[in-house]
Formats: sequence, C-alpha cells, structure tokens
Amino acid sequence: MITANLEKLQILLKADQIKDTAETAHPYGNSGAMTVFPNNENEIVAILKFATENSFTVNIMGAGTKRGYGGMNERADILLSLEKYTGIVEHHPGDMTITVKAGTPFQEIQDHLKAYSQRIALDPFLPEQTTIGGLVSSNDSGPKRLGYGAARDAVIGLRMIYPDGTIIRSGGKVVKNVAGYDMNKLFIGSMGTIGVISEVTIKLRPITKAESTMIISFPISDMGSIKNLSVRVLDSTIEPVCFELINPELMERMTGEKSYSLVMSFEDVEKSVSYQEEFIQGLMKDGIKLRRLKGEESVQFWQSFYHLLPNGNKVDSQFRSETVLKIGTINMNILSILKDCELIQDTNNVTIQAHGGLGHGIMNMYINGVANDVRDAIEKVRNIAQKHQGYAIIRHLPFEQRKQTDIWGPKPAAFFLFEGIKLKVDPNRILNRNRYIGGI
Amino acid sequence: MARKKLRTKDQHIIRLASMVDGLGSILYEKADLLSYDCDGFTIHTALPKAVVFPENTEEVANIVKYCHEQGLPFLARGAGTGLSGGAIPLNQEVIISMVKMKKLLSVDLENRRAVVEPGFVNLKLTNSISDKGYYYAPDPSSQYCCTIGGNVAENAGGAHCLKYGVTTNHILGLEVVLPNGEIVEIGSNGVPDEPGYDLLGLLTGSEGTLGIVTKITVRILKNPEDKQTVLAYFDKIEDGSQAVSDIVSAGIVPAALEMMDKTAIEGVEAAAFPVGHPKDIEALLLIEVDGIAAGIGEQIEQILDVCRSRNVREVRAAKDEQERAAWWANRKTGFGAMGAISPDYLVQDGVIPRSKLPEVLQKIKKISDDSGLRIANIFHAGDGNLHPLVLFDARIPGETDKAMEAGSACLKVCADVGGTITGEHGVGIEKREEMRFVFKDEEIMAQTDIREVFNPDNLLNAGKLFPTPGRCAEVKKEMKEAAIS
Amino acid sequence: MSKPEQELKQSPPCTNSLSNYLWNDPPDENKWADCVHCGMCLESCPTYEQTGQEQHSPRGRVYLIKSVAEGKLSVNEQFMDPVFACLDCRACTTACPADVDVGGLIEEARGQVRQAMPLTGWQGAVSKLFLRGIFPHDSRLNSLGGLLKFYQKSGMQTLVRRTKLIQVMPKHLVEMEAIMPEVKKPIKKKYKSENVIKAKGETKREVAMLTGCVMDVMFSDINESTINVLTKNGSAVVIPKNQTCCGALHVHAGDREMGRKLAKQNIEAFEDSEKIIVNAAGCGCMMKEYEELFREEPEWKERAEKFSEKVEDISKFLHDTGYEKPKAEINKRITYHDACHLAHGQGVRQEPRDILLDIPGVEMVHMPNADRCCGSAGIYNITNPEMAGAVLESKMENVPADVEMISMGNPGCMLQMAIGVEKYGRNQQIVHTVQLLDWAYQKEESAKEGQ
Repeated sequence: MITANLEKLQILLKADQIKDTAETAHPYGNSGAMTVFPNNENEIVAILKFATENSFTVNIMGAGTKRGYGGMNERADILLSLEKYTGIVEHHPGDMTITVKAGTPFQEIQDHLKAYSQRIALDPFLPEQTTIGGLVSSNDSGPKRLGYGAARDAVIGLRMIYPDGTIIRSGGKVVKNVAGYDMNKLFIGSMGTIGVISEVTIKLRPITKAESTMIISFPISDMGSIKNLSVRVLDSTIEPVCFELINPELMERMTGEKSYSLVMSFEDVEKSVSYQEEFIQGLMKDGIKLRRLKGEESVQFWQSFYHLLPNGNKVDSQFRSETVLKIGTINMNILSILKDCELIQDTNNVTIQAHGGLGHGIMNMYINGVANDVRDAIEKVRNIAQKHQGYAIIRHLPFEQRKQTDIWGPKPAAFFLFEGIKLKVDPNRILNRNRYIGGI
Repeated sequence: MARKKLRTKDQHIIRLASMVDGLGSILYEKADLLSYDCDGFTIHTALPKAVVFPENTEEVANIVKYCHEQGLPFLARGAGTGLSGGAIPLNQEVIISMVKMKKLLSVDLENRRAVVEPGFVNLKLTNSISDKGYYYAPDPSSQYCCTIGGNVAENAGGAHCLKYGVTTNHILGLEVVLPNGEIVEIGSNGVPDEPGYDLLGLLTGSEGTLGIVTKITVRILKNPEDKQTVLAYFDKIEDGSQAVSDIVSAGIVPAALEMMDKTAIEGVEAAAFPVGHPKDIEALLLIEVDGIAAGIGEQIEQILDVCRSRNVREVRAAKDEQERAAWWANRKTGFGAMGAISPDYLVQDGVIPRSKLPEVLQKIKKISDDSGLRIANIFHAGDGNLHPLVLFDARIPGETDKAMEAGSACLKVCADVGGTITGEHGVGIEKREEMRFVFKDEEIMAQTDIREVFNPDNLLNAGKLFPTPGRCAEVKKEMKEAAIS
Repeated sequence: MSKPEQELKQSPPCTNSLSNYLWNDPPDENKWADCVHCGMCLESCPTYEQTGQEQHSPRGRVYLIKSVAEGKLSVNEQFMDPVFACLDCRACTTACPADVDVGGLIEEARGQVRQAMPLTGWQGAVSKLFLRGIFPHDSRLNSLGGLLKFYQKSGMQTLVRRTKLIQVMPKHLVEMEAIMPEVKKPIKKKYKSENVIKAKGETKREVAMLTGCVMDVMFSDINESTINVLTKNGSAVVIPKNQTCCGALHVHAGDREMGRKLAKQNIEAFEDSEKIIVNAAGCGCMMKEYEELFREEPEWKERAEKFSEKVEDISKFLHDTGYEKPKAEINKRITYHDACHLAHGQGVRQEPRDILLDIPGVEMVHMPNADRCCGSAGIYNITNPEMAGAVLESKMENVPADVEMISMGNPGCMLQMAIGVEKYGRNQQIVHTVQLLDWAYQKEESAKEGQ
C-alpha cells in the first residue's frame, strides 16, 4: 500500500532518504514497509502530514536499541528513523542548558559537554548508540538514578511534532517553569505514541571533581544482613549516587564472582568522596567483602554494566533473545523480589540475572531459557512484583515472543485517561500503534 | 462558630451540607464567604457560592459528583496562599477547602517516603521527621502555612530547588478525584515509572484544573550532613549577577543561591525580621552549600574567592545556626515584608536564562522608571527565577492597573530573552494573557485538549491558566472538530 | 441579636463616606494597609487551627474589618462572630512578615461591635458583672463570692467543687517544697501602710509594682514572690495606692470606654514611678499599648506613651538588671509555657527560660509549640467555652508527659493550664516563673538558718 505512494514521498525527500524495507522482517518488529530518514524538522513535519493525509501508520525509531521494547505490530506503513536527524542545536554553558536534535546519540552529547566540564546527569544503557530521543521517549534511567534522577527530572523542554504536523513546544529553555501544564512529562516516556520528538532541551550539571565505585559482596545470600547494611548506609548522611543490588547470577556474568553485591558510587569533591569511602570501610565486618574499583577497573565495570541490555538493533551475531524486564517497586522490596525470584530459576529452569536500585526502586531483570519456560517465568515474576506493590513490564523481547506475551501487564485504573489523551493527540492512531500499554 | 441550623432555602447548599460533617463544615453566608473571595493574589475578587470542608476522599468525591451532575462550578483550595489567583472563584464556584484533610498518614523512612493528606502543611512534614534526620525538600517561602496539596497543584518551588528540584521531582503518587467524581490512584504505592503516560507529572502543576488531589505520596530526603550559608554584599548589581554565574561555572551546585536588590533589602529591613543588611548596597547574595561536611569547606572557600574577585563589599559565612536561620527568615518572609514599605504589591515570577540577568535587571529598572512604580527584586538567582515585586497603592485610582501593566511588561522581558512567565507561582488568573508571550495558539490548544480529557465540562476551576481563546485557535479548533465529526 | 441596620443608621454619632463603622475610635486604616494577604499568619492562629475557616484566621479577620470600612459588610452578627472568636493571643503578630497589628485592629473592631450591638442575656450580665462591677473595685474583688460565680459560669465549678484548684494555691506548694510562705492576704492590703518596701541589702533602684486585680486576690503569693525577688536583688518596691485593674479584659471585650477610664487612672497613679514592674503578661502587654486607646485624645496619648515605656515584665527586668543566681536546688523537671502576651505581645521569650535555667537542679524539658495559646484569653473561656476547650486540648497535647511543673508568666494562663491538668488527668503543678526563683532563694536562706 505504502509503496504505491512512493512517488509522493519522493517529492518530499531525496532518494537516499527513502528505503524500501517491505521485504525484510525484523526480529524485533516495530519496523516499516518504507523507512525514511529525515534530515531536518521540516521533513519530519512533511512526512507526518503525508502519513496523516493518507492514513498511513508510522513507527518512530532512533538508533533502534529499544526495538524490543513493546509493540505488537511487526511493521507500520512507514518507519520514521531519526538517526540522520542529529546534532546540537544550542549549548549555553553559562546557563547550563543544551538543546539537541532527537536523533543525537547520548554519548556524543556527553563528549561535547566534557570540554566544558558539564554533563547530562543521566546514565542510560547503551549510551553510545541510544539516542536522546529514544532515551526521553522511554524515560530510561540507569543505576545512578538515585543521585541523578530520571529523564523526567532532566528534560526542561521539548519540541514535539504532532501527527498532523503541528509543532508543539513544551517547557522551555529555563530550569524552572510552571507556565501551563507540564506537557514535558506527558511526552517523556510516552513511547512515541503522541508525537515525534524533534528537539530536547536538557539541564546540565557540572562533572564532579572526583568519583569512586565500591562493591560490597555478600558471599552468604542472607537478605537480612544485606538489608541491615543497606539501611545503615541509606539512613546515614553519606550520599551515594548509585546504590544498586546485583544478584549473584548477574555478578557472576560481570565479574566471575557469584554473590549478592551492592554497587555504590560516590561523586563529589575529592575530600567528600574519600570521607564516604572511609565511612563504608568502617561498616565492614566478617562475612562481607569490600572492593574499591580503581581507574581502568572502574571504567571496565561500568562499561560492561551499561551493555548488559541487549541492543534491539543488532540482528546478526550479537542478536540476543533474552527477555529483559523492568520492575518498579517500593525501594527495599527489591530484596524480597530478588529472594522470591531465586526459586523461579529452579522451578522454571531459567537463569535470572537482576539488579535494582535500593534507593529508587527500579530493577532490570534478564531472563534466559527456553521460550515456554521464560514465558511462564515472566508471569511468575510479575506476580511476585505485584505482591510487593510493584509492576513488571518487558523492556526487551524479540517480536515473535512478544506476540505471545503480555508486555505491559494489567491496565491501571487511570487507563481511560491514557486512551483519552492518545485520541486527542492522535485520533487516527497513526503513531507507534500498539506500541504502548493497553494497545495504545 | 457553627450555627444551629441552616439559614437558607438554597437546595444546593442544603444538599452540600448533608455531604459534610455538620454545619461547621459549610459556609454560605456573605460575611463568611468574603474571606474566600481571593487568595494570595488580591487584585481580582469574586465570591464563591459556598465553601465546604470535607474530611475524607469519599466526601470530596460526593461533593464533586454532585457538582458535576448539577452543573455547579467548583474548585479546590488549600491555605489560599497562591500568588496567581488559582483559588479565586471566578465563576461563583463551590470551594472545596482541603484544610480539614490535614493528616500525616504514614512515614516510611526506610523507603524514604511519606503519605499526607492535601491539607497537611508543608513545613509540618519536615518538622515531623526532622528528629529522625529527614526532610521534605520543596520549600516555598510560604512553607509555614501552605499545604502540600496546594504545592502539588502549583508545582511549588522554593529557595532550595536549585539542587533538589521542585515539587514534581518529589511526588511519587497521588490519589485524585476526577472532575466527574471518580477516584483514581496514580503512581500506586508511590512506585516510580508506573507504566503509561506520566499523569503524575501532568497533574502536578495543573493548578487544580484536572482533578482534586486527596492523598499524596512524597519522597523525603535525608538531611545533608552539613550546610553552610554565605552572605555577600555587592555595591554593584552587575558584580552580584556575575558572581552568581561564576559560582555555577566553578562547578558548584549550591543548595540555594538567592539575591535581593536594594529596594527588596529596604523592605525586609523595615519588616519583622531585619538582620541589619546595609541599605546602600545594590545587591546581596545568600548562598547555601550542603552535603558531606568534609567537602563543604572547600566549596565555601571557592565561593568566598569568587565573590571577592567580583568586588564584593563584604562576604562571610554564617557563624552559627542561629545566624543562618535569621538570614533565611529575613529572606523567606520577603514578599510579605513589602507590606512594611508599600500598601500593596504585585509579585511576578519570571524565569530567565541565568546569563541574561544583568540585561533583564536593566530592563526591569526601565519599566520601573517608566511606570513611576518602585520594583523590588527578590530572586532565586541560581535558577534564574526572578520575583520582581511591583509596589503600589490600590487606593490611588489607576495605580492597580499601572502595576499590572508593569508586572506584565516584566514578564515580556523575561519571555523575550528566552525565559518564561512563571517559575513557581503558576499562571492562575494573573498571567493568563501572558501565556501568549511563550506559547502559540496551537500550543495552548494542545494543553486545553488535555484538560478536556480530564475536565470535559470545564466545571473544575474554569477560567484559569489559559488565555481567552484567540481567534486563530478558535477557528482551528472548529475546523478540527468538524474534521473529526 | 443585632439591631436592624436601618435603626443603626438613623442616628450615627459620626460618619465617613463608605465605612460602616459608625462610632468614634474605628479600626485604623493604616493597620490593615500593611496586610498583603500572604497567609503567613494562618498556621499561627489557634482558631484557624481548630476551624480551618479563613474568617477565623488573622488575615480573614483583617479582611473582614477592612470590608466593613469599605462598605462591603455591615457590623452585624456574622461580623461579630469572627471578631470575638479571636483569642487575642497575638501569635499572628509574631508570624506576620509585615508586622500587621492584628490585635489592635481586633480590639478596635470589638469596640465598634459592642457599641452597635450591646451584649444582652447572660453573656451581657456576666461581662458587665466582671468588667464593670468587679475588676475595677478592690473591695468587691476581695469578696470571694463574686469569684465563685465567675468560676461557676466559666465551667470551672467542678474544679472548685473538688477543690482541685488548690493545685495553683499556695498551701499545696508549701507542702511540695516546705519553703513556701503561708497564704497571705492581698499585698495591696498587706503593705497598705508602707510607702516603700525596702530592698534587702543595698538599694540600687526603686521600682513601682502593679498588683493587678485578680492577681492580688487569687495569686497574692505571686505578688509576694515578686516583691521578695525584687527586694532580694536590690530594688525597693513602691505600690502606688491609686492603681487599678489594667483594663485588658475590658479592651479585649470591646469595652474601650472603661478601658480608657482605667488606663487614665493607672497613668496618673504611676506618674511618679520610673519603672513599673508587672508579673502578669496580659496586664503588661495592655499597659504597653495604652496609647492605642487614645488615638483621639492626643494629650493622653502622649502621657500613655511615656507610661508604656516604663512598663516591664518582671522576668525581663530581672534579666536586664541582673539577679543573684540561687544556690539551693529545686530538683524538678520543668517545662515552660509562653504566655501569649509575654511572647507575642512583649517579645519576652528567653528571659524567663534563662531564669529557670539559673536555678540549680531544674531540668528544662522542651514543650513543642510552647508559644501556642492555652485558650485562657481573659474571659474568653466564658464567652467561647467550646473554642477555649478545643484550644486547651491541643495545648495539653503538647505538654510533655513526664514533667513535674509547668512554669509561665501570666495568671490567666495559670488558671487555664490548671484546668487542663485537671481535665486531662495530668499531674503537673502550675507555677509562676518568679515563684520558682523566690522558692530557690528561700530554700537557700532556710538552709543557711538551719546551719
């Protein structure tokens, strides 16, 4: 159908910006019969207008790292790729704000900012590939969320393109802003279902003068003592930016040592960081081990951590069929969830690797095993999460398996509001159809 | 006090009275309603139809349901300290006062959260947990009396938001009564990133136009190990502004970075909490750094150096907690203090990119000169949030209008340098038209579209937040509706 | 009930354009001009805390008072209600960033209300009996009959019946420390023939003392203690003969005319004094504000201002002029309640606490919201028993469980707190700060004598 309209699209874009992708099925889905690569905002507007006029559906993609994240349709009519729509629009070092185009890879921005001793205080997975637009669309956050916050805390302005091509700015370029509704929040994490992000304005933070990573490992899996120690640290005045509990299976994958481990990061001026390190050292007792990661070791550790997540754009040798869950719960319930999930490994013959932030309540869980076992395990994990006042959603799974799995779990009570919002903005449901909760 | 029986035949009042706890929980006579004809913004006034005081979510839901069915306009009110007129009953609303829902429902230190009812006063939360070493970060200047429900509605900020963020960054969950009376839970159990659109973020700062919050789960923080405050006096406001930029450029993230100009200093020194600031300086900075004690000294030294390099007249760190508290009391009561030097004031709330500070101050001075009205400036310099206080006397005919014009002109200046019209006080009635300084018609419509999802009959707090529809928007909306139907 | 508006408007004693204040001495426009409606006062107000209603908040009351002046509202029952529900505790004045004199406005408004709507029924009778019939007259005050009526009407009869009021009475205190002087007659009577009570040791200065009306009958021992403490620390004490009730209760009740009369008498009685020492916070506060009564009598205003400058609370006087630190121990856990008219009215907060801390053995326990009104507020507990009770309840919740004494600097508070202790089954003793100091001195002396 879309191919019949190719000519119209060719008027809007140059030949090398259009790719016929009708034949190639993508293992993670969320593709398009036609892939278009706009270079500028006008082209995005034109593409969306074209799609609206012709009732074509549009999937939106940055670098494609999150293609495995939601989506019940293998393809839309058009795959709108923003990977060519990159670059820094403006950076005001004095104001500590930056505006970038949606397709810009996260690391590229950080590299630019480094020269100014500034950074975006976010630590997404796959930072080299993930685009700022993708990060914002999924409200992704990493283990340092405790100290940094999430995308919703960092973004101060967005330039959105509605399905009919209207450009809607939300927020602004200043760090404090309550003019009108906080529409930024609505768009952040909306998984591309109510508009295409064109530009993102983010507030910046200075790069701290010193940082340090420490790992406490608990050779004996005693949740009680892990909790006691965690409460001691979190109830003290030291200020870890990361306080992530890693389960033995994941720790083994990362370091070869199979034990529950607490990963802590400190970022501050030198004196403060060493004071905090000493504080942690002071907590040590028999039966637990403390390791301070130095220099290259620390770089390596985080490098491997931020690449735990499979890249939804890798279809060749690096294709990983594992299931990744995002679980949200009340902070300390992470301990109970991890404990309860230990059993599933045996009953379902799957491996569960997981980490979760005891200071913020977000976990990632990597499940490997035979498809049926995994599917069953997902349900069990979801039940466990719900038992502990939380939820579990699937943030990475190949398309074929997704089709047979409940990605988002039960609809919340406020779902009718989601639907109302979606229909107001995108009445024909052309954007990322079926990508989000409840088939939005 | 509570009267013995209702002295009205108005059926709506009789029905509403039956939904709350007795006659002490409803007001409907003019003398009683007068106190509700405005909030902290006194330029517009309008009498409500009634004021009801529900004590739990069910009562709120029943009242809302009734108003919804009967087509009665209604709105929620907390302590009524808002500065943009968000709680003024423009349409003879039934005011649902949340002040009797003022319980601290639970505190969970281990998971760093507390659950409060909307009428719970901001500072009381910190006071309730401070002995355990915790606090609630958003600290609007009115925190002694403003309610957390009101803070959610306005997405309140405060002096210490520079480092810790505003209300929206500290809200984990809400129980909301929607405009049709339905009760929904958003961010259940205060768990972050609940799947679905971020209604938590959308509702926070929606100025009571999308729903009435009846329960709030907030994040609480551990007290910083130490904090230190520096006070610096500058002869030239440019030097003060420059020092602000330098501090931030030095890689310091102060917990607060406040500035007051000469007129503002005159006000606070004439009022209830003077600390003896010299009256002949052009600007003072109040800078607070907090965090790990071991790291603070170094940052304070750096700040002192920066100030000295910018021709500071005098700069020093507070010698003890008492002095620090005195400095802050002086600053935090700054708005009310203007009463001591002027019968009325209009406070504006523009935000600008920090680097534009000197330029904007120049322009505000010009507005002051042109209008003949004095303008004091108190602001959160660290995040560029300016509070120009236009001083006037409402008893002088025409002066109120002149003040409003001057206030609006200040906002125009902020918008023109790439800033915005409100950083923490909200749009309310006051800045409805100024919304056009920052938003195009389509953008405003995108927002009213969202309101329609929640509040389709627009009975809840109508007439706030958005300008009266422009021609263009109206036409477009008609076209859009025609296209859909 | 209010008179019909029509009737009121027929013969106004004075008029100005829009205002519905029809009598002399109306609320002062400059006082409300300072109020910018910011709301900082809300949480400080006990009646707002209880009702959550803004007409019962300071800014609400100021707004209503202003509305009457602007002609938006008339002086009627609905206006009277919030204006008279105010406890006159002045906590709002402390909270107010712009120093709005809410208390002054309230009193002026009450003056207007009382003239528009004279009290009738038992409320009127009670007010009249006390305000005009008893307090200004020593002889009548001295007759306990009148006082018993006062207690019965104020809902304290159970207390009296059970004679538990003794908790504030000297006998009980004597038992407690065995150092108390026995019950004395009113000091005004006792020292009738003495012109000057000499200082013990060197005389450093001479001060005059207000004996007060209720104070001298109900709490003569506190007056006695005050004299002891003053003379011990080098002050000779004069008790001017013609002094009378300070008039605070009258002014609080809107009877400004009587207030002026009493004020004039006191101004004359203390004309020759350099310093006027007061041990009742309510009286001290009133006397410091006499000038407010004479806005329309410039000559008296000036005299009142001079008079007010001389007035000082006993604790502040001791603090400023210095006092001997007692050596004997009083081993008690004590908490301190800030009388409204001391803390909010006169800004005296730390001085009494310092005195207590200077007594060896005293363990001070912090009372949360110590400067919250107890609900006594003159005759408020007669006129607004419900509200007074609610305010007292919330006060008692703040009294630490394990203290043995509650110290304060105002007789009204002492009565009210004694009721609270009784009503809520607590067992604290109620003492005046200056009494504790006196006992410590006496204990020290009797110890010396023992040796």
